[in-house]
Amino acid sequence: MTVAPQLAEPVLDDLRQVLGDEHVLTGKAARFNRARVPAPFPVHRWAERVPDLVVLPGSTEEVSEVVRIANAHRIPIVPRDGGTGLTDGAVPLRRGIVVDVKRMNGILEIDEVNRTCTVGAGINMLKLNEVLAAYGLIYPDDPASYPCSLVGGRIGTSGWSLIGSRYGHSRDLVLSFDFVLPTGKVIHVGDGAGRKLSKSSSGYQLKHLFMGHQGTLGIATEATLKLFPKPEAELSPFFAFPDYDSAYRTVGELARAGVATFAGAVLFDEWKVDYLRRDDEAYIPQPADVRALVCAVAYGYEDEVIAGGRRLMRIAKENGARYLGDEVSEGDWAARHDRYATPLHGRVRSGQVVPMSWHCEDAAINYSELPQVRLEWHEIVRRLRERFDMFDDWGMFTYTSANTGVDYLTEIDVGIWEQRLDDESWAAWVRAKRDIAEVALRYGGSISACHGSCREGEVDLVPQELGGGYDVMLDVKRAIDPNNIMNPGKYGLDRAYEPDGGSGS
Amino acid sequence: MSAYRHSEQSRPPEARQITEVAIERFDDVFEVDPKLMSVHVVQQVFPNWDTLRIVASRHDHLDWMHSHWAAKVISAQALLDEIDD
Repeated sequence: MTVAPQLAEPVLDDLRQVLGDEHVLTGKAARFNRARVPAPFPVHRWAERVPDLVVLPGSTEEVSEVVRIANAHRIPIVPRDGGTGLTDGAVPLRRGIVVDVKRMNGILEIDEVNRTCTVGAGINMLKLNEVLAAYGLIYPDDPASYPCSLVGGRIGTSGWSLIGSRYGHSRDLVLSFDFVLPTGKVIHVGDGAGRKLSKSSSGYQLKHLFMGHQGTLGIATEATLKLFPKPEAELSPFFAFPDYDSAYRTVGELARAGVATFAGAVLFDEWKVDYLRRDDEAYIPQPADVRALVCAVAYGYEDEVIAGGRRLMRIAKENGARYLGDEVSEGDWAARHDRYATPLHGRVRSGQVVPMSWHCEDAAINYSELPQVRLEWHEIVRRLRERFDMFDDWGMFTYTSANTGVDYLTEIDVGIWEQRLDDESWAAWVRAKRDIAEVALRYGGSISACHGSCREGEVDLVPQELGGGYDVMLDVKRAIDPNNIMNPGKYGLDRAYEPDGGSGS
Repeated sequence: MSAYRHSEQSRPPEARQITEVAIERFDDVFEVDPKLMSVHVVQQVFPNWDTLRIVASRHDHLDWMHSHWAAKVISAQALLDEIDD
């Protein structure tokens, strides 16, 4: 094994003493497998992202001890949960120690009276819900990576949920959590001091500060979550339209209808339908006049889902929707909970199939701006594909983020033939990502509704997006992580340690 | 139950062209046209029973996902029929 000089004995001895030999991994497989996430990745430079060491702590105390050791020796630390994120949060940019929290996957308490549970950050939502089902309860945090992402990662990225329009997103569903700061100090973060409070006005509201930081401020280890009754009923109709404008009008009306059981709506544009016609069993046989799609989803008690469902169906019908039938609707919606199982291949310009990775660029966009953003994003990807026959436009989805239809998680899916990447094509991809982010900002949106914005390309525009808020980020980073050990290199936060202390000082 | 014969299993039914890019060998089981997988993707012999097993497994998985999230799936077609009436 070769490790960085600062990681040689006796640091390794200290870590083994805290964690036990079997939980300090130095092998090649353990380290290379924790070098990347499904986000765009320069595979031709994989070796630059490999950590020196992987540790598997089993408790908050062990995480704290690992961080203390790392801080004392100025060794970079990268927290890693499911490693399913679509930004670079869990990718080591400066090697160092990856702290993988998957062993911390216990259910510590289920409080039926207050409708909460307390879990280790390494637990997966699907596995948690299998247990909660016996109590008639559910934790409705539902990303596309539902079967494989973990609660701690949802905190670190401030995750977005498919059914967030009904139940809220990770920031709403996580009530409080234990958090290890870059010095090793452990704090409890939530509304006020309580573990199970959903609203407090005492002190600064730190919960949001310590969510969505992409591992740059510390490591969540234990969380208390809000629970709901497991739904009696689900409704998930899919509708076809002959043009984008009709589908766009319909999704807006569905989202603005104020139906209490409404959990979300999704709009598929023409490029997405074209993509699905290549190899999705539900859409291959659809007639040629199907050019755009909308789905709406509702959860709740059977009587309320039926009542709300009638209203949603009436809205769709009045807008000229053609219902795709129960089989297609139910099959497609069930598959939305598990997009990471999608077969990955795309087409080069000749039409030939090639193995491709799925890359998803997202933004938060207001409803009124969706049509124009869509056209400009597709044009960016078209130009990229014209130059490099290794990129494929897989179309766009827009998902409601809230129950009023104000804004949408807007994403363009791009297939990349990663094995063909080189420095020139990677640089072009990074430029395209920056251009995509620039469009989002120009239309009054945010660079990301869901994934985070710390990847190459879009990260350059974060100071522009946040303005004076970015200066505060620099000050906060420097105050909480004086030695810049926690996930260094992300979000441009290194500038907080420059001689002038960043522009916020 | 029919007897298993290797030669039968490794010879898929005749393909029907469904679209310019997709074919169908078994009912409602669509495949990318093999012509499009002739340059960069290597083809392999795939037993018929395994194709059907994978399709059935996918349906099992989707059924499981529905019951994981809710006890019952409401038929949107039934709601639409009510509105039409």
